Amino acid sequence: MAGNMPKRVKWRKAQKGRIKGNATRGNTVAYGDFGLQSLEPGRVTSRHIEAGRVAATHFLQREGRIYIRIFPHKPITKKPLEVRMGTGKGEVDIWTAEVKPGTVMFEVGGGVSEELAKAALLRVAHKLPVKTRFVARRHGL
Amino acid sequence: MEIANVKGEARTDHGRHANDRLRRRGMLPAVIYGHGEAPEGVALSRRDLEQALARLSHVIALECDGKATQYLIKDVQYDHLQKDPVHVDLMRVDPNERVHVKVTVELKGTPAGLKAGGELSQLITDLDVECRLLDIPSVIVVNVADLELNQAVRVRELQLPDGVKALADADATVAQVKLKRIVAEVAPSVPVEGAPAEPEVIGRVAKEETPGEKD
Repeated sequence: MAGNMPKRVKWRKAQKGRIKGNATRGNTVAYGDFGLQSLEPGRVTSRHIEAGRVAATHFLQREGRIYIRIFPHKPITKKPLEVRMGTGKGEVDIWTAEVKPGTVMFEVGGGVSEELAKAALLRVAHKLPVKTRFVARRHGL
Repeated sequence: MEIANVKGEARTDHGRHANDRLRRRGMLPAVIYGHGEAPEGVALSRRDLEQALARLSHVIALECDGKATQYLIKDVQYDHLQKDPVHVDLMRVDPNERVHVKVTVELKGTPAGLKAGGELSQLITDLDVECRLLDIPSVIVVNVADLELNQAVRVRELQLPDGVKALADADATVAQVKLKRIVAEVAPSVPVEGAPAEPEVIGRVAKEETPGEKD
């Protein structure tokens, strides 16, 4: 199993569940200046996150800073190929982050210009399984 | 400070459907409260309000029934994507009253410490200040051109306009230049040899350690 996953868990396997509603937390740019926001619900796997991180780091070289705001907490199991049904739940295959519409998944900061941040986050967006949009930090009142 | 003019009208219909009808007309439902008076419903021009927010205005002059009154924008609620405003809270204030607001902090200049391998980070982007309504600055500009490596600008060092008092901790860091974190790792992270392929399960005792277990 490649990629990021929790160090310790209470239960090895989880139920499937449904991704309902919109993000009510983590839906604003908090650490950087620009962000990539999900427009639809979906499961972002640890591989997607890692691919996005590599794409952005490679593009930005040593400029700026990348913040990853999601973490793959949820294990997804899978039965092996050509196995009959039954005999219990399959083994954990991947770890995913459940993302709701509005979740800011990646952020770029550290004095990076808007054009550069947009180009970097576009490369991240191409690696993700959900529709996204580019957002900028909003100033307080 | 710039006071933006916003067109508005009195709002008599309340509830979700009435507000949806307003939004379809390019208006935004808003409420005016404060000074111990009863809250009052109004509808604002969305275009005017968005222009005011883009110019970082805190105060608007609401033109309603041919009369313009100044109000403080207390809160703006956005939709689930934090994109479109859906409701606005306005507060009645006296022009001489002191109010608490957040003012945007803008950094100006390129720090000298960047040449020495430093990285500029802004820790406070919006500063809590107390001032008279008409003294609210649109933005606080901080010159960081002189910042060397491992130097920082604290809240107490900010040059605030007359009558403006910072509410944040005087020792809080606004911006700093620190040695850049080297992020050498661009290649995908591979699992470390010897690291477990699965996370540790809390509360589960390893089989071989279970006392009294028969093989």
